[in-house]
Amino acid sequence: MKAARITAQALRTMCRYRLRTILMMLGVLAGIASLAILTSIGESTKRDTLQRFKNMMGTFDTVIVRPGGGRSRGMPTLVTVPPTLRFDDAEAIATRLPEIKAVAKLQNAFDIDVKYRERSTAPAIFGVSDNWLALRSEDVREGAFFTAEQDRALARVAVIGADVRRDLFPGEDPLGKTIRVAGVPFEIIGLLRSRGAGPAGASLDNIILIPVNTAARRLFNRDFLTMLIAQVNDPEQGAEAAKAVSSLLRERHHIRPPALDDFTVTNPAAAMAQVTRARSTLTRILTGVAILALLIGGIVIMSLMSISVSDRQKEIGVRRSVGAARGEIVLQFLLEAVVVAAAGGVAGVLVGWGGLEVVTRWQQLPRVLLWQPFVVAMAMSLIVGTVFGIYPAWKASRVDPVEALRS
Amino acid sequence: MIEVENISKKYSRGTGVVVDALKEASFRVAPGGFVVIRGPSGSGKSTLLNILGCLDRPSAGSYRLDGEDVSGYNDNRLSRVRNAKIGFVFQSFNLLPRTTALENVELPMVYGDGHVDRKRALSALDRVGLTARAHHYGTELSGGEQQRVAIARALINHPVLILADEPTGNLDLSVGREVMRLLSDLHREGRTIVLVTHDDAIAAYAEREIVLRDGAIVSDRVQAPQPELQTTGGSQ
Repeated sequence: MKAARITAQALRTMCRYRLRTILMMLGVLAGIASLAILTSIGESTKRDTLQRFKNMMGTFDTVIVRPGGGRSRGMPTLVTVPPTLRFDDAEAIATRLPEIKAVAKLQNAFDIDVKYRERSTAPAIFGVSDNWLALRSEDVREGAFFTAEQDRALARVAVIGADVRRDLFPGEDPLGKTIRVAGVPFEIIGLLRSRGAGPAGASLDNIILIPVNTAARRLFNRDFLTMLIAQVNDPEQGAEAAKAVSSLLRERHHIRPPALDDFTVTNPAAAMAQVTRARSTLTRILTGVAILALLIGGIVIMSLMSISVSDRQKEIGVRRSVGAARGEIVLQFLLEAVVVAAAGGVAGVLVGWGGLEVVTRWQQLPRVLLWQPFVVAMAMSLIVGTVFGIYPAWKASRVDPVEALRS
Repeated sequence: MIEVENISKKYSRGTGVVVDALKEASFRVAPGGFVVIRGPSGSGKSTLLNILGCLDRPSAGSYRLDGEDVSGYNDNRLSRVRNAKIGFVFQSFNLLPRTTALENVELPMVYGDGHVDRKRALSALDRVGLTARAHHYGTELSGGEQQRVAIARALINHPVLILADEPTGNLDLSVGREVMRLLSDLHREGRTIVLVTHDDAIAAYAEREIVLRDGAIVSDRVQAPQPELQTTGGSQ
């Protein structure tokens, strides 16, 4: 096939003019590598944020209620919240609202003194309902979680996080051991699966879970909640469910306009959408920068190819004299541009991989290797080669063989 | 073989000045003919040769090559004619840079209808006595060797017409004579050759001489070929 023979000519020319070929490749290489790196970083930080958010929130099909109006920052604790959210508010939401599948109660405090023999630590203590784990998609790694009966019976049982285990039981099996939480003895019945870091980067494993009623009556002696999490039946209806919870609580707390809520209802899905949107903007900007770099690579190809067309007038004349039609000259030069760009693209992808490895280690980003940016980058390099090869190839085909051969 | 009827070529040079490079030239060359075209610079020799070589089209008149009227052909068809029927030999050899002798000889096959036949290219190189230099680049060859590679390239597709434009112009006398001997051999084998030269000794190889002046044929006469004619020197 003639096209195959012309392709072979294009490849041979590229090999024989190595320096020119390498120079042309470099522009595309830089563009493709930065495109691959920047879009990968954009995408992986986005996923990272999402993951940290999930670590903190558990599932997204929930509505979170905190005591007190207005926005409060960070995790609430018994010390910081007003006593407006009651245990029977949780029961009412669970039983009276059809939108709500289940409700988990929370009563928590931080930096509570916990001792085991001579060792001590100061984790967060979370008094929670028995359905806490299910609502937060968390899991017990060893042992068991406490039951509704144990909660009702004010059992002094605890499930500990990975950090607590590390601090109190190095090289020892904690199951069945008794720890003292602020002086009150608790038996360890389970170990939580590690959750890693939250959005702020702090560990989520420095925690002890105990039954919420035990916490209220035997440990903290408080009869209000710091938070409740209501799971909605239909994740798409999160906003409606939040509204239903609000009006039920206003009714129960006898709040009438213009009085403001003495609680705050938030919907994690809505909050997440906002974070994702902000991250997408960043990704778009990074992608724009990379595409600009790729365009510059294309312009490098176009200018070097145009110069090469002027240098290769005689070659073009010879090829025409032995029977190359204009279209065949166009084909050869276009192929040279496309192959150079594709080779630059492949090299760029390899450099991009390497660069991504370096950047993720250096910035301690999660190593998310996505294939999409690389496929897109390869496709872009082919497009760049074609688009920026058209003008030089056309110019080559317009070389007058009579003029070219005379010199 | 060649039937040229009243062909003219006009060029417009920038500021609306029209130059008549050829004025109603007519002649015929029978198959197997060996014609030399002579004339001073600017007489239209090159223009005529480019038209005969299908690199250029006449402004008027008709040109039949090997029974085919090519004067109205488009670029594609002219390219096919050049590929299949015409072999060029240039004054400055015009081998492709950074390309071996063998690859140069193979070049016309790239644009032909068959495949690139390496054996055929090697035997063409053998024909011009350069088998040993097949894998050398043009820059590693002497002028005479380069011109012989160019002749092998011109022959590779078995053209009916060989066009040579001052083929010895860049060669010294003895090497030039070798190249002319090669062309005479091709003529003896029955190929049609049209040669452009200033050099009397080179012109003497041909059996017919057409002289151009100011774009018109002023003389067209048959001559007895006198190869190896000794003159006072190389090109005048």
